[in-house]
Amino acid sequence: MSITYLEAIRAAQAKALADDPRVFIYGQDVGAFGGAFKATKNLQQEFPGRVLDAPISEDAIVGSAVGAAIEGMRPIIEMQFADFSTVAFNQIVNQAATLFWRTGAPCPIVVRLPSGGTMGSGPFHSQSMEALYAHYPGLIVMTPATVEDAYSMLLEAVAIDDPVIFCEHKFLYYHLKAERLPETALPVGRARITRPGRDLSLVTYSAMVHEALAAAEELAAEGAEIEVVDLRSVKPLDTDTVMASVARTGRLLAVGEAWPWGGVTAEVVARVAAEGFNLLDAPPQRLNAKDTPIPFHPNLWAAHRPTARSIADAARKLLRL
Amino acid sequence: MPYVPILMPQLGESIAEATVVRLLVAPGDKVENHQEVLEVETNKATMTVVSPCAGRLAKWEVEVNESYPVGAVLGHIEAEQPVSAPSAPAPSAAPAETQAPALAAPSSVSPLPPTIPPQKVEPRVKGLPVPADRVGATYMSPRLKARIQELGLQAADLAGIAGSGAGGRVTIEDFERYIAHLEQQKLTPASPMRVAVADAMRRSWTRPLATVGLPVILDPLLEHRKQFNPKPGPTLYALRALALALAENSAPAGRLVGARIVHPPAVDIGFAVEAEEGVLVPVIRSADKKSLAELAPEYDRLLRQARARNLPANATGGSICTVTNYGTFGLIWATPIPLPEQTLVLGLGAGRKVPRWDDAKGQFVPVMEAYLTLSFDHRVLDGGAAGRLLTRIAALMNQPQSL
Repeated sequence: MSITYLEAIRAAQAKALADDPRVFIYGQDVGAFGGAFKATKNLQQEFPGRVLDAPISEDAIVGSAVGAAIEGMRPIIEMQFADFSTVAFNQIVNQAATLFWRTGAPCPIVVRLPSGGTMGSGPFHSQSMEALYAHYPGLIVMTPATVEDAYSMLLEAVAIDDPVIFCEHKFLYYHLKAERLPETALPVGRARITRPGRDLSLVTYSAMVHEALAAAEELAAEGAEIEVVDLRSVKPLDTDTVMASVARTGRLLAVGEAWPWGGVTAEVVARVAAEGFNLLDAPPQRLNAKDTPIPFHPNLWAAHRPTARSIADAARKLLRL
Repeated sequence: MPYVPILMPQLGESIAEATVVRLLVAPGDKVENHQEVLEVETNKATMTVVSPCAGRLAKWEVEVNESYPVGAVLGHIEAEQPVSAPSAPAPSAAPAETQAPALAAPSSVSPLPPTIPPQKVEPRVKGLPVPADRVGATYMSPRLKARIQELGLQAADLAGIAGSGAGGRVTIEDFERYIAHLEQQKLTPASPMRVAVADAMRRSWTRPLATVGLPVILDPLLEHRKQFNPKPGPTLYALRALALALAENSAPAGRLVGARIVHPPAVDIGFAVEAEEGVLVPVIRSADKKSLAELAPEYDRLLRQARARNLPANATGGSICTVTNYGTFGLIWATPIPLPEQTLVLGLGAGRKVPRWDDAKGQFVPVMEAYLTLSFDHRVLDGGAAGRLLTRIAALMNQPQSL
């Protein structure tokens, strides 16, 4: 038996619904249709009255969820695409993020964002929004890269009393598979050394972890040992694990699929430069998508986002410095 | 009764720590105020630390042969009398320090006029420049700098490492390999004196140094010295001649700082004395104002104290130039390096009987000759000025009655 990243997300929601009567799912076409990507397939039949179709208004969806959370519920919101969450931006960053800090009442909502690029998706269905939400205090931003993390982190997202932005990567939905669902997990906020190495720290998250691992494999053939660090959640950001890795290797390459300007990779580089300057044997580097809207054309898209090849090239250059 | 700490005093200019050599009293012993209780060794001399008050030694906080920074608590005295506040032990060197010329004190140097802004190094690769440092050393990464500091090494210690990084820079891997390689060889600790000399020479070598030399006839001087007791040696004659020459014109002993010359405030001249594993430089103050007869006993006393490594704190530092008699090693010619805070060093080679053409007699006559050398900071003076100074010194040594 094997289970995909998408099936793990569905399984986690089923378990959350079964375990806690306060949990319900709210989103466009999440009911009978089973969600745009079938992440809620059959959940409405299994949990009657707890998987609710919403009008086409992200603003209203999150606003209602915040109200439900105030009343003691623990809603899971599905955005059809992460890109559309901007319509609900006010509710997420002004209402949900600040609720506890204003009133002392927790706001335990989860907003699932099908994130990142897939071939031909273009500018409105490919965005990575994690940096935007990580900017706001009061929000937790998770970016799982594995089937196991998608499952365990979504369960933890539901259990946490803070509003959680759950960035699940569409590129991983179908082809990323695991043998079974996990029974234990690293705590949220802890990064993972996915591949140990001593020459260079490749710090990344979400789908880029797999591109980074492929790049590390390619460089291993050339004699370079690349350490791959999976941040798992970009907020909180596990600075300790990153710093310990850079202490081992002396070189940092931060990779993210999002745009470069003020993003997660910038934050990683800034923290290492500020707190771990004396660990660096070469200037810290980062690699991001190009600073343009995301192109439709598959060839342009492949050139726009970091890939195993461009990561390996950047790592090679850094190793020679 | 209160416990009063014995603190490591400030033992001299630019001394940050000292090594405990001997404990002169044991716990329980009765001590007087200002009694010598501990012997410490700095890179300049061996000195004693005195008790801050009368009482009994309660406890030592130090180990022999370990180094402790200035201000460290070395031990505690159980005081006889209640003390209002333990006064910081007044270092005996303090008056000497204030006396010492403020040459090196940054506060005495007024802001320098604006100079040409440093040239900007343009990155060659976008975001990834590794410019070669214009001073000569290659680029050192923050990690390499931190590691070097951690190990107590200097940039000069990297000279033996072939860099494999961009532009030939030494990467941290190159460095660690080199250190691992060193560890496989025989290693012994260098003495504090050796380390201090190494540090001074390294700092001095940052300047363009040059040496000029000429022969000087020693016979008049050797005849002249017979009338004294103690007899001044050739080094002292050279020192006195240098002092008089600098009293006439002190500009060659000035130091260049930025775009200005710092002039020597007094003709205080040091002389190099070989001590175990290094060199000490006792100083004769105002050597231009004392006759040879006055200088000879002072010189002998300082020489004895230096060899015993027992120089008082005010007998070192603050000199404007140095005389070194490398002739004692049998050398006839050398290019000594001036101290980092000095522009000049006068060297004296070994005397030799040589034939010299005598025009009056029309034949060669035997004379005692030695080479005088002057090493100098070429930024401050040129060959001409150095040559004129050296010629003047030789002329004065040829007329010893004028010294």
